[in-house]
Amino acid sequence: MSIVTLERARVTPCGGSALLLEAEGDLTLPTQMGIWNIADEIRDWPGVLDLQPGMNNLLVVLDPVEGDADATAARILARWQDIPRTRTLGRLIEVDVVYGGEGGMDMQELCDIVKLTPAEVAARHAAPEYVIFAPGVSPGFGYLFGLDQRLFCPRRQVPVMRPAGGGVAIGGAQSNLGAPIRPGAATMNPTGWYVIGRATNPPVPFDLDYDPPNRVSLGDRIRFRIERLDA
Amino acid sequence: MIEIIETAPLNAVHDLGRLGTRCYGIGRSGAMDRVALAAGNAMLGNDANAAGIEVQLFPIVLRFTVDTMVAVTGADAGALLDGVPVPAFWAMPVKAGQELELVSPADGMRSYVTVAGGIDVPVVLGSRTTALRDAFGGFQGRALKAGDMLPIGAAPALAAREAAGFGAASPWHAVTRPACGDAAPDDITLRVVPAGEYEQYDEPSQAALWAQPWTVTTQSNRQGYRLQGDKALVRQPLEMRSHGIVPGVVQVPPSGQPIIQLSDGNSAGGYPKIGVVIDADLWRVAQAAPGRRLRFVPCTPALAREAERELAHYLDTLRRQSAWVRRAA
Repeated sequence: MSIVTLERARVTPCGGSALLLEAEGDLTLPTQMGIWNIADEIRDWPGVLDLQPGMNNLLVVLDPVEGDADATAARILARWQDIPRTRTLGRLIEVDVVYGGEGGMDMQELCDIVKLTPAEVAARHAAPEYVIFAPGVSPGFGYLFGLDQRLFCPRRQVPVMRPAGGGVAIGGAQSNLGAPIRPGAATMNPTGWYVIGRATNPPVPFDLDYDPPNRVSLGDRIRFRIERLDA
Repeated sequence: MIEIIETAPLNAVHDLGRLGTRCYGIGRSGAMDRVALAAGNAMLGNDANAAGIEVQLFPIVLRFTVDTMVAVTGADAGALLDGVPVPAFWAMPVKAGQELELVSPADGMRSYVTVAGGIDVPVVLGSRTTALRDAFGGFQGRALKAGDMLPIGAAPALAAREAAGFGAASPWHAVTRPACGDAAPDDITLRVVPAGEYEQYDEPSQAALWAQPWTVTTQSNRQGYRLQGDKALVRQPLEMRSHGIVPGVVQVPPSGQPIIQLSDGNSAGGYPKIGVVIDADLWRVAQAAPGRRLRFVPCTPALAREAERELAHYLDTLRRQSAWVRRAA
């Protein structure tokens, strides 16, 4: 599987009023710390409405009338060159996972692609300590960094519907953990990722009774423990 | 209050959406046709971001429990006030006990009911919009159902100079249609800024993006529209790192048939993006029913800002003219 890797950082338009900063080189912790640091600065720039760190990248949403995409793009790129790339990591969260079986319905499919047995996939997936690198597609634990290269797996040709709630999945060079389902929320979500397991009791990462509602932060760490491997 | 007498599924309370919540993985959401919602609010003298009812499945029947003023904008759904036809893009006084029915649009997809003072549901994370998938915001975090009683915000008593109300030009007529050389009259033309992966597509694919019509398939909803074209878009298979995406992103999964991510689309994604439909044209997408043909027209951020200014001018004019035809009751 080849992953798009840039020799030099770039900023490209994402429509008329958003910009995407993409860092140079591989996905690494120092680069991502630079992304978090530059995000904290850009938040206060004039004309910036919203920000979203991604994996090795940063989406900057500008005011559609007041924002100046060209000028802001140049400013982002200039600041990226000397932004500090250090930061302190957060707390460790431990999560028990049942790999395979009903909750990890895509395990066999993933095994066929990466040419490993389910036991090997579970062992390799539960070995590293992951870092929450970026917010995900909905409130939750976000995108996790640290996946064993042997488990890299291209996303599906066409998205499929998969159950929400504690799913442990692999997509490209990334892994993630699904939040518990909020009462009344969707029980199925579209995804191009492979769901290989399910957390038995995932902590709640997002709770509207708190302000701010996020109970985990970028830079927090996650370790998965194999509770069981189901056929 | 507005009482929901009857409604098809998936109709919900929306404003213009959330900003500043992407750090939680929460995208903008909000009304699909932001111009129709904003036009209704402008006609009533509401805050531009006041919440209204988005109707995307029909019919819906509402009853007002107080005298107030309402506007019906977006797709012309053959609205009836106590059985009397109401034109599209129309604002009118209503009496307590009167019923408004939106039957079904002959053309277009989504209609909006706005009320003087706006729908006064609690603000959650800076917005009154319903986050359907995550079950918060809007009315109890869910789509509307029969029996719901929607609170109305405080507003000065309004009336129209004419008891029947007053109309406005729809943006289809008042705003310039993006020019596209050989588009059929019925094609919906959309301005698209090429995105990060545009250059990775082969030349025939780049040409096809602009030259061929893209048909809206039935797999189209508030999350996104899947499109179908004769020629699939081809690019060397390269995995992308996940990145934040905005409504309007034209993603291309490996099938080569694009998806436009919309209001309730994921806040991040990893499919390559060939372009992004500009914000100022997303209301056109919101009204494109399955089977309609879309045409993409190349655009730049600078031209996108001009398009935003034209929309802002349309809404400002509507707000000024409407203030003149309304009067204090």
